[in-house]
Amino acid sequence: MTSPSAPAVETGYPWPIQTTRLDNGLRVVVSEDRTAPVVCVNLWYDVGSRHEPAGQTGFAHLFEHLMFEGSAHVAKTEHMRLVQGNGGSLNATTNPDRTNYFETMPAEHLELALWLEADRMGGLVPALTQETLDNQREVVKNERRQRYDNVPYGDAWLRLLALLYPVGHPYHHATIGSMEDLNAASLDTFKAFHQQYYAPNNAVLTVAGDASPTEVFALAEKYFGLLEPISSLPPAPSAHLSGPATTPVRETVTADVPAPRIYLSHRTHQFGTAGYDAITVLATVLGSGRGSRLYQRLADGARIAQPDYIGSYGVDLAHAPAPLIITATAKDGVSVETLEEGLSEVVASLVTEPVTEEELSRAKALLTTGWWRQVSTVGGRADTLSRYTTQFGDPSAAAYRLPQWLAVTADDVTEAAAYALKPESRVTLTYLPESNGESA
Amino acid sequence: MTLIATRPDPGDARPYTFPDLQRVTVSGGTVIGAHLPGQALASALLLLDAGAARETSGREGTATVLAKSLEEGTAERDSAAYAIALESLGAELSPGLDWDTFRVGVSAPVPQLLGAVRLAAEAVRTPRLDPADVNRVRDDEVTALRMDWAQPGPRADAALRADLFGAGERFGRPMHGDPASVAEVTVDDVIAFHRAWLRRPGVLLVAGDLDTIDLKALGEAAFAGTGGEPLAAEAPLGVPVRDQRRIILVDRPGSVQSTLRLGHRAPERATPDYVAMTLSATVLGGAFTSRLNHLIREVKGYTYGIRGSYAMSRRFGRFEVAAGVQTAVTVPAIIDTLGEIDRTQQFGVTEDELAVARSWRAGQLSVEMQTPGSIVGALSTLVVHGLPDDYYPTLRSEYLNTTLADVSAAAATHLRPHGLTLVVEGDAAIIRDELVAANIGEVVDAQV
Repeated sequence: MTSPSAPAVETGYPWPIQTTRLDNGLRVVVSEDRTAPVVCVNLWYDVGSRHEPAGQTGFAHLFEHLMFEGSAHVAKTEHMRLVQGNGGSLNATTNPDRTNYFETMPAEHLELALWLEADRMGGLVPALTQETLDNQREVVKNERRQRYDNVPYGDAWLRLLALLYPVGHPYHHATIGSMEDLNAASLDTFKAFHQQYYAPNNAVLTVAGDASPTEVFALAEKYFGLLEPISSLPPAPSAHLSGPATTPVRETVTADVPAPRIYLSHRTHQFGTAGYDAITVLATVLGSGRGSRLYQRLADGARIAQPDYIGSYGVDLAHAPAPLIITATAKDGVSVETLEEGLSEVVASLVTEPVTEEELSRAKALLTTGWWRQVSTVGGRADTLSRYTTQFGDPSAAAYRLPQWLAVTADDVTEAAAYALKPESRVTLTYLPESNGESA
Repeated sequence: MTLIATRPDPGDARPYTFPDLQRVTVSGGTVIGAHLPGQALASALLLLDAGAARETSGREGTATVLAKSLEEGTAERDSAAYAIALESLGAELSPGLDWDTFRVGVSAPVPQLLGAVRLAAEAVRTPRLDPADVNRVRDDEVTALRMDWAQPGPRADAALRADLFGAGERFGRPMHGDPASVAEVTVDDVIAFHRAWLRRPGVLLVAGDLDTIDLKALGEAAFAGTGGEPLAAEAPLGVPVRDQRRIILVDRPGSVQSTLRLGHRAPERATPDYVAMTLSATVLGGAFTSRLNHLIREVKGYTYGIRGSYAMSRRFGRFEVAAGVQTAVTVPAIIDTLGEIDRTQQFGVTEDELAVARSWRAGQLSVEMQTPGSIVGALSTLVVHGLPDDYYPTLRSEYLNTTLADVSAAAATHLRPHGLTLVVEGDAAIIRDELVAANIGEVVDAQV
């Protein structure tokens, strides 16, 4: 079967990109697009849970919450009121690698968004109070309950990280952190956290949408230009790992879950490398969509896996080999052993049965749509440019990702599978229902 | 200090516009296209007047089983060939169901859109519906619902719906059915639903760069072989509300949070109070700075988030507050929540709060409508509710101009704090006695 009529893609980022760097080290990226009267302001701070020392897990994320609770000239809760009260959408996220903050606004409020971001970059500490810390600590505990503790299989990601990365590795602990650590945190620790990481020379500011580079550069200088850089940024903890794991690890959890489920996971390559591009294509061939190997062989073929809960995906981490996660949930009456055997066979097939042209073009077509969906909003574009500036020093590197995916060959996928998906490097996390005794 | 103390004023606003619309009538159906110049992706949505309300009583979930059976092979090709053909265009089918419509969406790079719509139409109009496949999909759907119902939320939602609309009524049953009703669905039910409702032309909505999209060709693909007249609209269901509050306790042993669903019935989408109601609910529980989120999250720390809103379909509406709160504070969280609903109903909203709600709702019409997918969603609202092409600019101006008096009046009329049904899904052994003692309303145990 020939590839469909997809034209050769030369760039994944057909919008203009202009950059500058303020004297204090703040990198500013602008991507003008006048299509709609909206603009996104996005900041990446190069601090995530990988920076947290033992005893301070969850601090980067709790800190992200505190950034919404007022700063030198912005009262508690005023940040949200000013953004939403001027028509905008906003949020922030923390992951192992970094913390990002973003708001998409009607374009006439660009300056307001920049003012708000500058005020909390440079003026958070004087506004931090014990009351705010105590309140947001409770909010974060509820976030943990809601997202991890109160849902079946909800703690899988927390468990996988600990199994994939050795004790002491920056990715060993999950971003949500330990409640004990959070309980022990003092106000001074969070003030120190801000002073250590929240500064112009540890951040990237991207503006995408209805604004010109000239205007944005001038406003960035006006609002951020006088903020003091950090004189000595602490080096990130070493994330070095010498290749994939060499011993398989297995954990079985008996819990209040409705059906047996398996997660297989491997450390692969770092996000941004050619090896990880191959893993991205591999994950799509293996487990994205009804045409994927996993769906075709286990959900549609052998019919041992539930069709709604099967798939594979990479987690795009950039500072150490990133995880590939493969998961399936047993159909009624199917034993977890049968399911694991089926999963292992399909994973092994990536080495023994080379990926066909049809599989490859299907995967690339899905990745192409996914890429264009990601950059279809000014918010998606701004976040992408902040990422590439923070992680690779160059926003225009974002344009290469899609062409690089499309350049991955069947041999590249086989090679990536042979390197990263060996049974001896595998983490196997299995959930069994508490009353599983009779059926499996 | 190195910071600028003065908050900047806004610049000049560009006028709001909704994309230009084009209409094409072809092969007995209508295509509505929204022009989004320069977008690499395009979206299409086939909208059929075949919502969950058209299912047979006791067989709730029929349309969902049908939706999931559409890709199990067509008259042309088997399921594997179908999946590969569609996904090789970069497209995936998104069949969905709500109370008013059955909808099938596809998104793809612009040059692939026609191929994707042809394949979507092939699945919708000529699915194979082999009995063995339909039975298997039905069984899988029962399992999938059990998986879903093991999470906090779906059981509480079902308990609230049953109480508000009647467990014996279609609108009182979950939109996608429950594990028991789906288990009753037969091959004949699925085939009959397809014959009756999915062979009508419907409306095809398209958003993308219309300079390079052929709406007529898309319509011909979507409507080929269809027939049937548009269906008559049915009357709204009215707004009966309880005269006393009632608490329904859904036991979830070991739950570390209590899932709250507080609700009562409300008018249907066509109500003239739509904008004022939406603004009042935004002040109460819509925005991050809403009364509920401010008190329950930002002051008390009881929750990760709490939301209050109206949901409205063609024939009915409902008001609902939803949150997950830490088990130990279940009762205080409920009391505070009731207090805010009560206060809003009695005393209305303030000008400052309303200013936030107005600007947020108006701004969201541009901020949240950038993508082809969001624009076809916006078009579907126009079609389902019979709204004019200039609806969004008009809505924006109504959001900005509705008066404080109107919004407070809407809160006074449409919030019914003393007729609320309060569903609490949590660890009954821990919270029951305290709930009873709180004297908020009669406590009954849910049968879900």
